[in-house]
Amino acid sequence: MKRTLAYLSLLFILGVLLYVANPNYGLKFGPGGEEWKALRYTDDYYITHGLEEVGGTNIVTDIVFDYRGYDTIGEATVLFTAIAGAVALFRPWRRDGDEHH
Amino acid sequence: MSTTDGDMGVIVRTGARATIPLIGIFGAYIVAHGHLTPGGGFQGGATIAGAGILFLLAFGLGEMKRHFNKNLYSVLEGIGGLAFLGAAMLGIGTAFFYNVLWHNGPFFNGKPGTLLSAGYLPIMNLAVGLKVFTGLVSAMVGLALYRRWRK
Repeated sequence: MKRTLAYLSLLFILGVLLYVANPNYGLKFGPGGEEWKALRYTDDYYITHGLEEVGGTNIVTDIVFDYRGYDTIGEATVLFTAIAGAVALFRPWRRDGDEHH
Repeated sequence: MSTTDGDMGVIVRTGARATIPLIGIFGAYIVAHGHLTPGGGFQGGATIAGAGILFLLAFGLGEMKRHFNKNLYSVLEGIGGLAFLGAAMLGIGTAFFYNVLWHNGPFFNGKPGTLLSAGYLPIMNLAVGLKVFTGLVSAMVGLALYRRWRK
């Protein structure tokens, strides 16, 4: 019973995703054509100016390390905090030695 | 046939011995070419850390403890983070994260598409790759070392 329900819900999710991803009558992710450039001009700016302003042929690296450098600082801080937290949580505590289980 | 301290047997150990250098070289390639090809510091650093984690899984915690120097890895992670911040500070005369080396820097000023180009991007890629590699390996060793479900 549980297994049948699980398969049915998987089928339902697959159908919803197929419907949503269909370009004919599904969701539209933003406008296309020339309107796209008017509303999402930052994408166009990075593509046309990135190579000249930052110098890397990998536009993603240009964005990550130059245009959005603050975001990368935050990501590095999150990584550092995660490792410090993992080591602090998993190191043996003082009362662990007394428990016998 | 020594299966003490959680190593995974002859087959896995031999396979790991063959593949760990290749994984490390591939990760170093991704880090070094981060400003030219897909990938970058974070992805390459995670790939090299995968080699370290494979070493830990295949050879066991005892062998890893013999090769893992906690203080060295802490210092390397600090150097990575500080080099990242220092490269960002280079252009503080104009703005934080201003790429001052590109167009008029003394080095890393080659034609776009060559290895020594793109200003501070290679420095930042190396710094972030070092930081991610040492950080992930340290986290994995910490998880393996301090587990509390041991008998």
